[in-house]
Amino acid sequence: MTRNGISRLAIAAFAVAASASLAWGQAEPLRIGAINPYSGPLALYGDEVSRGYQLAIDEANAKGGVLGRKIELLRGDASSPPQGIATVEKMASQDKVEVFVGTYISAVSNAASDSALRYSKVYWDTNALAGDLTERGLPNFVRSGPYADSFAEVSVAAAKDVLAPALNKDIKTLTIWIEHEDSIFGTSIAELQKKLIEKLGGKVVGMGAHNFRAIDLTDSILRAKAAAPDLWMETGYVPDGSLLLRTMRDQGFKPPAVMMVATGDTFETLDALGKEYLEGIAVVGYPRPDQTEAYGPGAAAYLAAYKEKYNRDPIAPQSMTAYAGMQMLLEAIKAAGSTNMDELRAAAAKMDKPLKSYATGFGVKFDPKFQNTRAFPTLVQWQSGKVVTVYPKDAAQPDVKLVNVPRK
Amino acid sequence: METFLNILISGILLGGIYSLVSIGLNLIFGVVRIINFAQGEFVMLAMYATYFCTTYLGINPYLALFVVAPLMFVFGLAVQRTVLQPLQNEPMMQIFATFGLLILFENSMLALTRGEARSLSGSYSSVLIDVFGLKVSGVRLVVFIVVSGIALALMLFLQRTMPGKAIRAVIQDRQAARLMGVNVERTYLLTFGLGSALAGVAGALLAPIYTLSPYIGGNFILAAFAVVVLGGLGSVPGAYLGGLIVGLIESFSGYYVDPALKQAIWFIVFVAALIIRPSGLMGQVGAEEVGLREQT
Amino acid sequence: MTTSTLALAGTTAARSQSMSLATLVGRYAGLLLLACVPLGLTWNDPYWANILAYAYLFAALACAWNIIGGFGGQFSLGHGVFFAIGAYSVARLYLDLGMTPWLAVFPAAALATLVALLISWPTFRLRGPFFAIATMAINEACFALANYTDHLTGGPRGILIPFRAGFWNMIFVERWKYALLTFGFMSIVVLITAVLRRSRLGHYLLAVREDEDSARSAGVDVLRVKLLGMALSAALTGIGGGIFAMYVRVLDPPTLFALPDIGVKFALISLIGGIGTIMGPVVGALLIVPVENFLRGTLGGAIPGGHLIVLGIILVCAALFLKRGIVGEFTGAVRRIRNRKRS
Repeated sequence: MTRNGISRLAIAAFAVAASASLAWGQAEPLRIGAINPYSGPLALYGDEVSRGYQLAIDEANAKGGVLGRKIELLRGDASSPPQGIATVEKMASQDKVEVFVGTYISAVSNAASDSALRYSKVYWDTNALAGDLTERGLPNFVRSGPYADSFAEVSVAAAKDVLAPALNKDIKTLTIWIEHEDSIFGTSIAELQKKLIEKLGGKVVGMGAHNFRAIDLTDSILRAKAAAPDLWMETGYVPDGSLLLRTMRDQGFKPPAVMMVATGDTFETLDALGKEYLEGIAVVGYPRPDQTEAYGPGAAAYLAAYKEKYNRDPIAPQSMTAYAGMQMLLEAIKAAGSTNMDELRAAAAKMDKPLKSYATGFGVKFDPKFQNTRAFPTLVQWQSGKVVTVYPKDAAQPDVKLVNVPRK
Repeated sequence: METFLNILISGILLGGIYSLVSIGLNLIFGVVRIINFAQGEFVMLAMYATYFCTTYLGINPYLALFVVAPLMFVFGLAVQRTVLQPLQNEPMMQIFATFGLLILFENSMLALTRGEARSLSGSYSSVLIDVFGLKVSGVRLVVFIVVSGIALALMLFLQRTMPGKAIRAVIQDRQAARLMGVNVERTYLLTFGLGSALAGVAGALLAPIYTLSPYIGGNFILAAFAVVVLGGLGSVPGAYLGGLIVGLIESFSGYYVDPALKQAIWFIVFVAALIIRPSGLMGQVGAEEVGLREQT
Repeated sequence: MTTSTLALAGTTAARSQSMSLATLVGRYAGLLLLACVPLGLTWNDPYWANILAYAYLFAALACAWNIIGGFGGQFSLGHGVFFAIGAYSVARLYLDLGMTPWLAVFPAAALATLVALLISWPTFRLRGPFFAIATMAINEACFALANYTDHLTGGPRGILIPFRAGFWNMIFVERWKYALLTFGFMSIVVLITAVLRRSRLGHYLLAVREDEDSARSAGVDVLRVKLLGMALSAALTGIGGGIFAMYVRVLDPPTLFALPDIGVKFALISLIGGIGTIMGPVVGALLIVPVENFLRGTLGGAIPGGHLIVLGIILVCAALFLKRGIVGEFTGAVRRIRNRKRS
């Protein structure tokens, strides 16, 4: 190529690059900090949840970003409250983060959102479950996703409306054993489950707490077996859930209905137990992409986008909840016209979308404590090695039926 | 009655698991006298190696044992030679170094697997065997049988063979052993390798029972230390019985008291036992290590 | 302990003995002022002020551990228990009785000391790694108990201290105020350790560390010495826990009892800085805490656990190449240079 040609090429390249940045304007990118455990036992979920954020952000950027600015996601690793504080400090003061999202561990969310308040930055929590996060009444905190109470409520509603009828009983004659892991996550859900069941006149024949890292859970299973419940409900993580199911199988404990809460709906459990054993086990979990389009608009599109970007199926449904939560945040920023704490919260307070507005089937309407009142988990069931949404009815695909209840 | 029998058997089998994980540690601790924080990680690495053999090479986990154990032996030699031997005279720094290894191994595995929990495929874990009319988990029974066999074999090794006697000598009194012509450094190497190989066996046998995660090592390590100390340093039957006792205490207190408290209970029992009898159940501890003094 | 550390301990002890108290305090005040320089440079930057606040606090906690772990040679991995007692006590006294944390740390320290004495009196029968494992087991047992006793500790939910800024609440808006607080605490602990070192109790502790049996035959009441050392160590750790409570304000059993973050960390910091030295834990903390934060900040998101892989490698290398800790190696090098000059 001639020298003239080269310089012309260079000018052209420069022009292309310049126009690309001009497309974003001279505006600073809008940085969002995602505070999650990216190391430690929950690292997988931190990563999954951030993938959900990224997909929502990619979608928004493809449409020109928010407020004319490109959105950038920064990851802040935190597995304990002091780490949460330090990470928020770094992101707020050095990395020019304007809004925070998170957070897979409630205690971290607590400390990190408190830190974010010092900088007057909104902490938009999409996944943490503890009730006191919103009970505190912090002026910068918003929770877009379901929380412990939502899981407890849906699990009890599912017991009443789905499992009890399948066993030809009603809630008052259904005997229930509540098992839970002993940290705040399991304990808060279990306590509310007990309260709700007893309010409905149901019978809790026993409650068991276990450590999720236990090497042996035979005692927990034997105790439940001795109580002979109709329904065995368990809230915990993956390792203990799998060990409990295996022990149930070994000990010949076969309650007519089994419901896991919050975990037990991923391939990890399938690998551990095999599809024959899992057949019919119900899980109250984060909404899944197999929902009907009417219930969860965009769910199928989300699944396709995830597959394309990450070359596999989503590992945990938490990511879709994070995706929807991020969408809500971006809408709120747009409505507020800024990321200023008070303006953003005020805009959030005005948001009002009915259920079934997002891929997860959520709507958005925040209560005075800024908990989204229209965010619920769903009930799914293992059927032939696949996880299928069964409840609420309109979330389930039309040909879906309950299987194997009572368990053979 | 059936429940009682069930808990008894479950406790014994759990004890077998504890014994299996502790038996390698017992040797290492008895000879090299360091708190090897990374021992649980050796078991974890062996579990993943077994997973690899089973999933990608199609080998039965019980056969994979014969691949994994020698690999872990070599791995143990390497760790001892490169990290622990240079720190021979600094016991506290050795602890520091093993803690660094723990963090390194755990997180390397996390980076490799992204933290996804994995389980061995195949139906090993669902096999049930009839014992006294009760259905017992096959994989756990295998663990119990194997660890009993290993304990026996190890005892014979320590009593009858030359390297075994050298190990016992070093356990009892390292200075005197050196004076007697025992090559203490070589004994350390052998012991560490052997301890790692035993961790390898543990990993291979436990892989069908548990869901693998990079952090699973941490679930075993404290119990393993407690069993070793409870059973008595350097005593193979002590570690074996110590494991059974811990398993039984955990099993019974879990059922009859509260599963949420069982860990606390056996920890307290462990501390109490140690205070009453610091040398452990069957210890033959080195003279310089244990205080058997009265309170003044 | 090896002979080299023995010699080190001996000469420094002897040297400090020959100084007057005033000179001693002056010397350490000088070193402490040096440790304060990073704060002076960065006080306006909340990110660094926060890291320094945490570093100074852990330096103080490591110094407190060092009293019984370094000087006394009793490698305790259960100091998390005293830390947690301090944290929970201050939190409860502040929330339930409205007591100002500045005062509440004292009953907290007393409670920590009491529990320490109760636990240690039987466990001091054990030595070396046995003692360490027993203390680890006690830490785990207390973890389970704290999780179980809802009415005392808030159980798994823990205790949350709402943000109400105020000097008497020991809650501050600016991070540098926390940093100043923990720096002050660290200075006090360092000076206490310096004075302790040259006191009779200090000498007894060192004697017990070097050779318990010889010390006993020389007439030292070994158990009493150990208990006194542990009492002081536990009290200071309890105060540190109380300060932590007002700083993090989210207290649950996983945060307080986690061995790698708390109990083992005190020992690690002392080891890397120089166990049995006075400034060692300070140096260790001022190194480890910022490095850990830096690694987490830069590598934390990309590869899961990436920053911890680097940290693990650093720890192993530090153990291999800084066998006597940083301060230990430094004083050793200084002595070698001095000896070479002499000959």
